[in-house]
Amino acid sequence: MTSLTRRTRSTASRGGARSPRRAGGLGLGLALAAGLGLGLGGCKRGPAEPPDDPSATAKAATPTKASADAARAQAAVEVPVVLLRGGRVMTATGEILERGDVLLEGGAIKAVGASVDAPSGAQIVDVSGKTVTPGIIDTHSHMGVYASPGFKAHADGNEAVAPNTAYVRSGDGYWPQDPQLERARAGGVTTAQILPGSANLIGGRSVTVRLLPYARSIDDARFPGAPAGLKMACGENPKRVYGEKSGPQTRMGNVAGYRDAFQKAVEYKRSWAKYEKAKARWEKGDARGGGAPLTLGGAGKGDEQEPDPPARDFGLETLVGVLDGEILVHNHCYRADEMSLMLDLAATYGFTIRSFHHAVEAYKIADRLAAAGTAASVWADWWGFKAEAFDGVRENAALLEAAGARPIIHSDSGLGIQRLNQEAAKAMYAGRDAGIEISEDTALRWITQNPAWALGIDDRTGTLEVGKLADVVVWSGSPFSVYAKAERVYIAGELVFERGVSEPRSDFEVGFTDGDIDGAAKGVTP
Amino acid sequence: MSPRRNDTPALPRRELLRGLGALGLVGALAPGSGARAAAPPVADALALALVGAEVHVGDGTVIPSGVVLTEGARITAVGGPELRPPSGAAVVDLKGKILTPGLIAADARVGLIEIDLEPGTRDDSGGEGPIRAAYDAGAAINPRSSLIQVQAIEGITSAAVSPSGGLLSGQVALIDLVYGDRAQMVQRRGVAVRGALGQVIAGSRAATLAKLREVLDDARFLRGRKAAYDRRQTRELAAHPRDLEALFPALDRKVPLTLEAHGEPDIAAAIELAAAEKLRVVILGGTEAWRLRSELAAAKIPVIVYPSQNLPGSLDKLGARLDNAALLSAAGVEVGIACLGDAHNLRNQTQEAGIAVAYGMDWERALTAVTLTIARAYGVDADYGSVAKGKIANLVTWGGDPFEHAHYAEQVYIRGAAIPMVSRQTLLRERYRDLEKIRRRGR
Repeated sequence: MTSLTRRTRSTASRGGARSPRRAGGLGLGLALAAGLGLGLGGCKRGPAEPPDDPSATAKAATPTKASADAARAQAAVEVPVVLLRGGRVMTATGEILERGDVLLEGGAIKAVGASVDAPSGAQIVDVSGKTVTPGIIDTHSHMGVYASPGFKAHADGNEAVAPNTAYVRSGDGYWPQDPQLERARAGGVTTAQILPGSANLIGGRSVTVRLLPYARSIDDARFPGAPAGLKMACGENPKRVYGEKSGPQTRMGNVAGYRDAFQKAVEYKRSWAKYEKAKARWEKGDARGGGAPLTLGGAGKGDEQEPDPPARDFGLETLVGVLDGEILVHNHCYRADEMSLMLDLAATYGFTIRSFHHAVEAYKIADRLAAAGTAASVWADWWGFKAEAFDGVRENAALLEAAGARPIIHSDSGLGIQRLNQEAAKAMYAGRDAGIEISEDTALRWITQNPAWALGIDDRTGTLEVGKLADVVVWSGSPFSVYAKAERVYIAGELVFERGVSEPRSDFEVGFTDGDIDGAAKGVTP
Repeated sequence: MSPRRNDTPALPRRELLRGLGALGLVGALAPGSGARAAAPPVADALALALVGAEVHVGDGTVIPSGVVLTEGARITAVGGPELRPPSGAAVVDLKGKILTPGLIAADARVGLIEIDLEPGTRDDSGGEGPIRAAYDAGAAINPRSSLIQVQAIEGITSAAVSPSGGLLSGQVALIDLVYGDRAQMVQRRGVAVRGALGQVIAGSRAATLAKLREVLDDARFLRGRKAAYDRRQTRELAAHPRDLEALFPALDRKVPLTLEAHGEPDIAAAIELAAAEKLRVVILGGTEAWRLRSELAAAKIPVIVYPSQNLPGSLDKLGARLDNAALLSAAGVEVGIACLGDAHNLRNQTQEAGIAVAYGMDWERALTAVTLTIARAYGVDADYGSVAKGKIANLVTWGGDPFEHAHYAEQVYIRGAAIPMVSRQTLLRERYRDLEKIRRRGR
């Protein structure tokens, strides 16, 4: 009855989502490559920009398009002006208003304060006695790619055909009718990163979604403009999945696999840089009117063929996105020694790991994580289901916080995601119990601001601050109570859940729910 | 006396409270004692007087300012302020605290599993075949498992340790979570037989039920024919005679048959089976039990639920809902609450109870659900499950509502002794608490 299969599965991951590929960052990468003694010679810089992934939907191909998409999405639902009046307002910015108002307008937070005037026509919601927080954000979910029911046909999270499948994207496997999504929303979750599983060393791209009801495709659910993540996995899972196949069989093999992948990415990037340079010269030749032949065996447009671009490789392109800092690395990694190795490997190749996930032993290297600026996504109390999870302590998040690192409470579970507030509570009180002072605001940040940062969307969500998206939850009481329930959930100002009044559910459950067929459940659960 | 955190604020509460029993006996807390020393042995259980707590008995009653007296492993008296501690008893002042019975884990694997994915650390499964009724989990329990203290210091004092797998998984052992002392730990073997309905045989619910009936028939058949069987003068049996013999106590209603069942059809089948075979059936899981709550109440079949498990994870769980416990309870079904099938986080039983309360269950009934109901379901309520005279002194003190995350257990007593409030996890935490110290060693 335990969720071992889920845990096992989560031990294996792969990911993928569209990611806008853009120029830039090449110089850094090349400088790094030169530093590694790769002998890049005079090839110093150049606009290596492989074209956009044609398999990406056009509208999501660039940030500009993504913004347009967001505008479209927001325009699709007319959101009222709402004043949440008189609640305990926990902003996740360090400030808690014991009694405050929050004004939502045009999909954004318009005002937060002890007393905010309601614009005419605003809908005023009395939330006295209740608590208002930012929407909860989960850095680690497989909703949509490992759906519930766990039908064989729903296993879309691990492309376990090779240890490196950087070319896949979780968004392509995402089923927006997963009933887990509805339950997570009822738990106050507004945003989640959907990751590939952890079967592979490099599982693919992730996608960050908003938990909007009635999404009919991944594009309806995408968080507008959020960068893609790259799912990587250390330790036991890749070993277990490939140990009796082509390998890796050991942790040695794991690390060799990461090095091989990123070395190839460096070389891929170099080949594009060369091409761009040659092409630029060729074009210059043309501009000069069929002028002088230059280098690289090429010549001006006038007398030589246009240089051919290198063959495009979507997996390497994803890794180049990491090298360029455009794709954020999310690394499933339990053990302190392995996390330390990965920090070193990332530094060697000039990228940073945005967050370790399932970092059960993060407390052992809290200082190193703080220095590297790498977040640690952890559980409150899961441990022991495999050897690399054996050294779990309840105070992991608190010890990380005390060391100046950036803890996040994540779920990796369709059950845990429904009560991340409670998981944060457990971790907070465990810390306090051990004499580590953790404020309520800090613990709230573990499930709001910190995950927003890890997903690269902290400029748009994660706190109750003017100008941010109106991703807001109204709780029946303290979110750290076992008895608390999310009563109202807003995503970009849209009321997407109202307990007992409007609790949207997935297509899958329609007709299976009591009252559907005989009509007894009129309208309560759309 | 009641050492509290603010006595010496620099020290974490669990360490402060470690060995409280022993401290209580001498009536003094040596400054700074306890925190860094090696874990002491469990204090000798002598006589304790736990005075002044709000005692939640476990049967629904509350004593506002209670006195609980213990001697050795047993509770000798329970009452109000009029109850005077006998001379020689160590008096523990629990004013402002809550005292509850120790929680009892159901269908637990603690002691049988150290690490799920390491087969060499697992003894929870008795083999390949579907009928393993004779498999005795009690024989395999590891009293030095790191999991024992992790659960115990959070208030889990006993567990019905059950094997898993197959149609009939084996014999359930009732243990007290006394770390390192096998004789004290494994209290009773064979308190129940554990099994599971569903698609166990040939991927079919119907085939599974048919096999179970066949096995029960053959167990009855074997009775009195053992000698004939040994002379090969009987027909073929559906299972090994050892496994059939292991069902005799269940056939005699001396022990329950605990059956994992989730979907409405399986729960209906369990109700029919209990009536037809005259068995004491306990349902584990019962995801859709709420649909048959009247029938379950009429049949007096207890259901032990796992309240947080509300996902429609398979076809027999599409009716999963968070208010299952509340609906069953309101209908008069005896409801237990547990982290079923778990080993590492049985400690979250308090949270599970809290979730049941959040979704409509009465608070005192939820406390009963994690204590007395489980004791009754496994037939050990004469000794376990409530704060009552003559029962085993498994007790927990709390600073407030035990179901709230804000309140971890402050002191746990098992068999009349205060346990060390230390686990492998708290030791690891202390080892890495000061990273500067590790850096100074050049690391």
